Amino acid sequence: MRLLTAVLRTIRHSRRLAVGLIILGLMVLLAVFSPLIVHAIGGGSDPIEVAAYEKWLVPGPDHLLGTDQYGRDVFAMVVSAMSVSLQIGAIAGVISTVAGVIVAFVAGYKGGWIDGVLSTFTGILLVIPTFPLLIALSAYAKNVSLFQVGVMISIFSWPFAAKTIRSQVLSLRSRPYVDLARVSKARDLEIIVTELLPNLLPFIGVGFASSALGAIFGLVGLEVIGLGPGGVIDLGQIIFNAISTGALTLGAWPMFVVPIVLLTLLFAALNMINIGLEEVYNPRLRGVAGE
Amino acid sequence: MKSELELRGVQQRFHARGVEGGYITAVDDVSFTLAASPPQVVSLVGQSGSGKSTIARNVLGLQKPTAGSVLYGGKDIFKLSRAEYDEYRRDVQPVFQDPYAIFNPFYRVDRALWKAVKKFGLASTRATGLELIEESLRAVRLEPENVLGRYPHQLSGGQRQRIMLARVHMLRPSFIIADEPVSMLDAQVRKHFLDILLDFQREHGMTTLFITHDLSTVYYLGGEVMVITKGSIVERGPVSTVMHEPSHPYTKLLLDSIPQPDPDARWTTRINVDELDEEEKTDAPATAPETPVI
Repeated sequence: MRLLTAVLRTIRHSRRLAVGLIILGLMVLLAVFSPLIVHAIGGGSDPIEVAAYEKWLVPGPDHLLGTDQYGRDVFAMVVSAMSVSLQIGAIAGVISTVAGVIVAFVAGYKGGWIDGVLSTFTGILLVIPTFPLLIALSAYAKNVSLFQVGVMISIFSWPFAAKTIRSQVLSLRSRPYVDLARVSKARDLEIIVTELLPNLLPFIGVGFASSALGAIFGLVGLEVIGLGPGGVIDLGQIIFNAISTGALTLGAWPMFVVPIVLLTLLFAALNMINIGLEEVYNPRLRGVAGE
Repeated sequence: MKSELELRGVQQRFHARGVEGGYITAVDDVSFTLAASPPQVVSLVGQSGSGKSTIARNVLGLQKPTAGSVLYGGKDIFKLSRAEYDEYRRDVQPVFQDPYAIFNPFYRVDRALWKAVKKFGLASTRATGLELIEESLRAVRLEPENVLGRYPHQLSGGQRQRIMLARVHMLRPSFIIADEPVSMLDAQVRKHFLDILLDFQREHGMTTLFITHDLSTVYYLGGEVMVITKGSIVERGPVSTVMHEPSHPYTKLLLDSIPQPDPDARWTTRINVDELDEEEKTDAPATAPETPVI
């Protein structure tokens, strides 16, 4: 509750955080209501169905962003693709943050051979070249679900979070306030959750944002070169279609430009939120009087 | 409340790379006893790196010694039963060195006090808990309304260190392990702090292990003093005896390192220290300390 009021207060003071949250909020809203929007565009029929409309219609009042090579409505496609991209980001972000945080806290707090084993393991995963492996994996994984793609991507993105958070845990666990908690009969788990975790929220936040972004862009990267898993249409796949059909030369520029603009906005929004939240997390940056 | 805290042959080694043998010995075969009655102040004096803070961590159960044992009421503190452990935890409480790092910057300072109230079951209701906290804050001459609800960075070092004393005041332990509690405080705050410690000894019967590198505070506190160098205790006795008839060369060096508040004494003091250094170099005994950085 106290954190919430602090966040609200900071939003009022930090224009960066406010702008980031508004952009992200709008995108999430768009994603949440994407089935409704798609339905409204189709007016009863499915606008993303092959040959729903004529091919290559230029943007106009009926089709705000035109149609593609199969006669699908680009606006409807973009809206549902964005929902897919955000879901991938959220799934992979949550999985890799949770995995990274658990590994980092166990390794950093327990130390000794446990730390040795876990750190070596994360180190090994870190040096595996992710992208070629993802390409190979996606070749085997046709028609995989969104969740499976998220898991696939997060297998390789959690070590980054784990590494940075572990180093912070190492520096925090020898702080006197941890000793004070121990002589106050606090158990290990309690110390980790109440003493260490709050001080690491900025790092966890950054870890979440970077793995979410990494997952979104990882999938986009796969789709753009035409190697994405078959079952999902995300923003990358629309870009791939635009490139492979030469949509720009046919006057269907929104197919290419709109997904890229959305991805850029998403990137900017998440980064602005990160920087803005830093002020909430760090009490030294709060108002001098404390309230 | 158990009446004795005893260190028996405590040795603490740390792994270290690039050192002969692969480890450094921070504490080497240290044995001493602290008695709860009569309440006393025992000072542990030594230079940086002599192992005094490690001893504090051993006594507080934060660091398990590699050999030897720390006994509370005759039992090893790492082998206590649940009930005995609870008693030991409440009965042996610390005051740490750095008043800036002792509070979690994420929370208000009240939390450190409330934690003590809750973890040790000092009060059954919030109202009695608050009463207790306010009473203890007044006991260390802090105004509750000036400190409660504040974040650590909004308080001075002296205020923060006294909140730690208020915490001790609430818990009423038999033993206070004070690890250089005044080294980061300025002069008049330091006296204030030491006086509160002496009050605790007199009024609440608390025995203090006072760890410091500063002999002038030892003088002020009185009681007994132990001198530690390179992980071993080389001298123990009443402050007056050790101060006036030091038997170990390291104690002499320490005594000569006290700055005199007298402009005329400055010149001779400096010469004395230099001469002592020369002496150390020529006929250094086995336990001679490293030349301190001046």
